[in-house]
Amino acid sequence: MRVNDALSGVVLVVLALAMIAYTRTFPAMPGQDYGPALFPTLIGLGLILAGLTLIGQGWAARARAPWIDAAVAFGSRRQLGRLLAVPASLILYMLLADPLGFILTAWLLLFGLLLLFRGGQALSSTLIALVVTLIVHYAFTQWLLVPLPPGLLQSILY
Amino acid sequence: MTDIIAALALITDPQVLLVILLAAVFGLVVGALPGLTATMATALLVPITFFMAPAPAIAAIVTTSAMAIFAGDISGALLRIPGTPASAAYVEDSYKMTQKGQAELALGICLVTSAIGGLFGALILALAAPALAEVALSFSSFEYFWLACFGLSCAVFIATDAPVKGLVALLLGLFIATIGIDVTAGYPRFTFGSIELMGGVSFIPAMIGMFAVGEVMRFALASGPRPTVPNQSLRHVFHGLGRVLWRYRLNLVRGNIIGTVVGILPGSGADIAAWVSYAVAKRFSKEPEAFGNGGAEGLVDAGAANNSALGGAWIPALVFGIPGDSITAIVIGVLYMKGMNPGPTVFLHEPQLLYAVFISFFLANLLMIPLGYGAIRLARQILNVDRAILMPIILLFCVVGSFAINNTVFGVGIMLVMGVLAFFMEENGFPIAPVILGIVLGPMVEENFMTSMIKADGNLLGFFERPIAACLGVLTLIIWSWVILGLIRGRPAVQAAPGMPGDQA
Repeated sequence: MRVNDALSGVVLVVLALAMIAYTRTFPAMPGQDYGPALFPTLIGLGLILAGLTLIGQGWAARARAPWIDAAVAFGSRRQLGRLLAVPASLILYMLLADPLGFILTAWLLLFGLLLLFRGGQALSSTLIALVVTLIVHYAFTQWLLVPLPPGLLQSILY
Repeated sequence: MTDIIAALALITDPQVLLVILLAAVFGLVVGALPGLTATMATALLVPITFFMAPAPAIAAIVTTSAMAIFAGDISGALLRIPGTPASAAYVEDSYKMTQKGQAELALGICLVTSAIGGLFGALILALAAPALAEVALSFSSFEYFWLACFGLSCAVFIATDAPVKGLVALLLGLFIATIGIDVTAGYPRFTFGSIELMGGVSFIPAMIGMFAVGEVMRFALASGPRPTVPNQSLRHVFHGLGRVLWRYRLNLVRGNIIGTVVGILPGSGADIAAWVSYAVAKRFSKEPEAFGNGGAEGLVDAGAANNSALGGAWIPALVFGIPGDSITAIVIGVLYMKGMNPGPTVFLHEPQLLYAVFISFFLANLLMIPLGYGAIRLARQILNVDRAILMPIILLFCVVGSFAINNTVFGVGIMLVMGVLAFFMEENGFPIAPVILGIVLGPMVEENFMTSMIKADGNLLGFFERPIAACLGVLTLIIWSWVILGLIRGRPAVQAAPGMPGDQA
């Protein structure tokens, strides 16, 4: 999704103002003039300056650059679906990994994305997802000793 | 001398050699595949190196990045799609050579100049780093503050074609670095009561998100049929190569030097080195009309430059802890996690590790000739890997890698946020390398700034009282005023080469 630079600038200025306002709540260091608020405040001021410059540039270019140009980047509805599937699958992983366990969740994530990206081919996608999940699980739990959540398969795995 | 022998023992350990070999194959495959960059290869490697001893970890990163930068030339020459951004500068030339039936020669030039460039960069690294470290030992917080500022300014203004957007990216990175317990007073900032944010935004998930998840999202959006590999023999890669290289021997030397110097400059890496040396080669060529039309000359210059930049980038990283490109930014993050603070003291306390870096550079670039030849022979198979299958697997790998650092799904959350941020930034022309530089250098900049402010008692002139600090400070201010003047006059201060992307090698 492409947006006009002026809009990015507005977002940045608002973000920076909120940030500076928040630093006002930081305590001062006793006996020092410079506390934890100083550096974030300087960053915030820099962001405001940069944001204002972007607003100026975006305003000057408003004839060429539309405010929001979703079509240029997102293309068809199908492409948008593929794009949103990436963050959505990560959110689902975060929610499901503990209750379901790594193997089931990872298989689900792989299977769903493979199906979507390849446009079908359910059988081979099932198998690829299964093999990759088992390899990754084995490598990370056995060699790198990462405690991946066992979840529902706890009784089978251990 | 004992340190060199100790380093040799570290690297020639059979297990380390096996790691180097696997890293080389991994780098070649990832680099050759379009859409998977050398930086992404490094980012995906980091969760695994996290569990290794420092020597094999560093050797793996060095080898992977060197191989990936070369391998980017393979898909550039065969498909006209640079496998990594570092190959973009001369993709027209190498592809037109393929169209003329010279794919073998084009790939041969890329392979041999890459190896020579890599060796040259490594040589300069081995010679310059220890000497510079002697100087760096006398640096105080003032010098480090200005050095970091100078490095970050270079990253923003030289390495990007839109200085304001580079600045925004850098400031966002610095802001992300302030999240968590602050360095001077120990007060939790911007944590909103979250205990997991108190330790700050973990570097590895952030970096995987920006360099890998963002890339997977871009793949999801792209569509179209897979390009087909031209049906040409790729057997006699070295045939007639000697004559070409001898003819352009001066170009080779020039490409090496430009590449190393650009690599040393903080924030500009292999891709910028290739653009600059290609432009220089064209400017001074006797036959500039051959550039972009399948001439071998630019290939020699830029093919050597992007690999020599890798060695150059390690110089400021090892000596000052200031990354020369996004790959060394990742390396610095890794070193910090291993409890090794990059900087001149490493040269005193752990010289064998530094020699291990130098040796792995030489080894990787010597291995590049046989392994790179193998990769060229197998190019058709590598390039036919179905990315619709590969990308979900990469995403799962990102998830496990981000989880493994602290064993919480919170890391996956950080990766997700940073991935979405990187996707939107790239869509809108904001470079993402400065964000990573900001995250890595943020704590160092703030600590040295606060220490200096307290030492100078708020007197900004105190920042200019020591001679080296004064020089670095003035240099930084000159860059800034140049850019601001350019902005006021209403044109970009630094004219970037057309189509030059931000540094993401």
